[in-house]
Amino acid sequence: MAAAGGTGTKTYSFKVVLLGEGCVGKTSLVLRYCENKFNDKHITTLQASFLTKKLNITGKRVNLAIWDTAGQERFHALGPIYYRDSNGAILVYDITDEDSFQKVKNWVKELRKMLGNEICLCIVGNKIDLDKDRHVSVEEAESYAESVGAKHYHTSAKLNKGIEELFLDLCKRMMETAQAEERLKGNGASQSASSRRGVQIVDDEPQATPAGGCCSSG
Amino acid sequence: MSQRTERRGIHVDQSDLLCKKGCGYYGNAAWQGLCSKCWREEYQRVRQKQIQDDWALAEKLQREEEAAYASSHGAQAQSHSQTAVPQLHPGHASLGAFSKFEEKKTNEKTRKVTTVKKFFSPSSRTPPKKDTQEGRTPSPSISRHASFETDQVSKEFVEFLKNLQKPGREIHKQCRAFIMNMSSKKELSADELSECVQDFYQNMADRLMSHFKGSSESVERVMDQVEKYIMTRLYKSVFCPESTDDERKDLATQKRIRALHWVTIQMLCVSMDEEIPEVSEDVVKAITDIIEMDSKRVPRDKLGCITRCSKHIFSAIRITRNEPASADDFLPALIYIVLKANPPRLQSNIQYITRFCNPSRLMTGEDGYYFTNLCCAVAFIEKLDAQSLNLSPEEFQRYMSGQASPRLHSSEGDWPQSGVTAANPVLAQLNHNLERLSLVSSRQQMLMEAAQSMQADLLSWPEGVQREVSGVLEKYPLQILPRTVSAMDANNADSDGPPPLLTAQVFAG
Ligand SMILES: Nc1nc2c(ncn2[C@@H]2O[C@H](COP(=O)(O)OP(=O)(O)O)[C@@H](O)[C@H]2O)c(=O)[nH]1
Ligand SMILES: [Mg+2]
Ligand SMILES: [Zn+2]
Repeated sequence: MAAAGGTGTKTYSFKVVLLGEGCVGKTSLVLRYCENKFNDKHITTLQASFLTKKLNITGKRVNLAIWDTAGQERFHALGPIYYRDSNGAILVYDITDEDSFQKVKNWVKELRKMLGNEICLCIVGNKIDLDKDRHVSVEEAESYAESVGAKHYHTSAKLNKGIEELFLDLCKRMMETAQAEERLKGNGASQSASSRRGVQIVDDEPQATPAGGCCSSG
Repeated sequence: MSQRTERRGIHVDQSDLLCKKGCGYYGNAAWQGLCSKCWREEYQRVRQKQIQDDWALAEKLQREEEAAYASSHGAQAQSHSQTAVPQLHPGHASLGAFSKFEEKKTNEKTRKVTTVKKFFSPSSRTPPKKDTQEGRTPSPSISRHASFETDQVSKEFVEFLKNLQKPGREIHKQCRAFIMNMSSKKELSADELSECVQDFYQNMADRLMSHFKGSSESVERVMDQVEKYIMTRLYKSVFCPESTDDERKDLATQKRIRALHWVTIQMLCVSMDEEIPEVSEDVVKAITDIIEMDSKRVPRDKLGCITRCSKHIFSAIRITRNEPASADDFLPALIYIVLKANPPRLQSNIQYITRFCNPSRLMTGEDGYYFTNLCCAVAFIEKLDAQSLNLSPEEFQRYMSGQASPRLHSSEGDWPQSGVTAANPVLAQLNHNLERLSLVSSRQQMLMEAAQSMQADLLSWPEGVQREVSGVLEKYPLQILPRTVSAMDANNADSDGPPPLLTAQVFAG
């Protein structure tokens, strides 16, 4: 799904999942980004679970689809169904809540294991307006992000800080990844075959190996 | 208290659900109480003839369709007649952009399985049954109506392609060839069928993409029509195919959902307040939509049902909470709706959409998001345990075995919450109903009393009137005074005073 090819202007379609513990501000972040509202009773959108945004980055059109995920612990096992085929993941924690940062670390491990390096990871420390109650140190968070090949951002949905930058930066990185992939696959025809269904594709033996093919994707 | 009375809802005897032939599988009312296998056997002979008729009709229609197409494109067809001789093989298509069609297909022979399919069909990779007599027989559910629908779709497709001019003819040809090709591949497994269709979509989309110079909106528009046309025709043979265990999974899920009848809206922490009439209306609509999914043949139409269901859920949440629903609200609500609806052939439908839907719809689009949530809901229901409902393992076990039912907290019924919380919803309902009955009965008694006193009043009233009238008559008997007609006439003519009759009355009163 990364790139819709063709000779004219390309339109990139990206899927980004929002992951993180409940109450860290996932919904607030997207509503701020897509509707520019915070804790507003007059929000017109019927739902905040699937939102889209159209961007134009250096002359390329980007359709961004932001998928909210159910953050309750009992739904944790459903993660893989949500984040499969994602181009990016935004892992949110609350800077005043140490636990929520630990949850982010768990997500990173799981994502890297399941999706490898093809997914662009963003670790986001939200609620920086509450800096006086900070429980996760900036250095620790940033060095952790670097160690796992993720980028770190500081945001406040309340004050509308750092959010535009976060999404713009993520889109640019996803475009680079998609372009690198295109170059790798050569141009034109064969590119489309691999981006088919725009998903992480697992090569299988033709039909020689029977059944049992339910093993994890390396 | 008796355990028997604790079951909620309509009690259905297990034996009523089983196949009438006693083979042990579940029967279905649509199959006259038989399971799909027995139904197939039972009706194969009868249907064989109809199937042949249908094929004849389909072929006839096909000829008409092509004739119609040719005549509507007379000019173009002529200008192409030197190069585009009627072809039997799709590989020799003439239009530049489409010419590498078959070639590409062979390049992609290496099987690639997406994680999507891996997740949902670990066992669908089992090789197809080789022993199926004379290949796959079309499902007996085909009917005249279905044929008619297919005809309609074909006509609409031709109409749509007319607007595309040149490539329209080529698209039509490719689709026709593909369908013919597929009908000759009866022995393929579900995954292979899916691969074929997905390859076809991909190749078609690529060709269209270069034709439309990268305008993905135009490509999508055509692809939607292609999907509709192809899948309407293939539906019979590729929905819940015998080579898979889709049907077994359907039955397992159906049974599982039935066993979870006791799960309440509170256990799932759903933010929908069904006591609000608009919310309960939305809930009903959401249930209807998700059930309707099974009746659609085109993957995208099935997706449409899921999307409509989801929108009703959002509306219900919005009304209840007065804020836009997040995934935290939506998923539990969807799970609740699925549990309430127990949609027919849920697994088959999910598999069918996964295998045969145009991928761009499924992957990034809004429909895809709702579909993914439905997949999550089903996965959750399958794995659901005590912990996922915040229950103790013992409680969970008791509810599952039907030994006990959870207490009713609120909003599960349409009566207002009373102070007394009965041990189980049936008793609560019973108490409530009794209360209401006694209230109604006392009101009825009051009504009866009032009616009786009114009746008495009514009966006594004429008597009273009669008595009064006769009293008056007795008191003032009527006296007729003698008078002369001529005198009256004279008086009338000359005097200002009252006429004699009135005078007499005045005297009398
Ligand atoms: N002070 C502050 N509060 C925030 C911020 N973002 C979200 N919140 C609050 O945190 C709570 C949870 O936010 P929500 O977006 O629902 O979190 P989610 O559960 O992760 O989707 C709400 O009360 C928000 O108002 C922020 O940047 N600063
Ligand atoms: Mg949220
Ligand atoms: Zn049977």
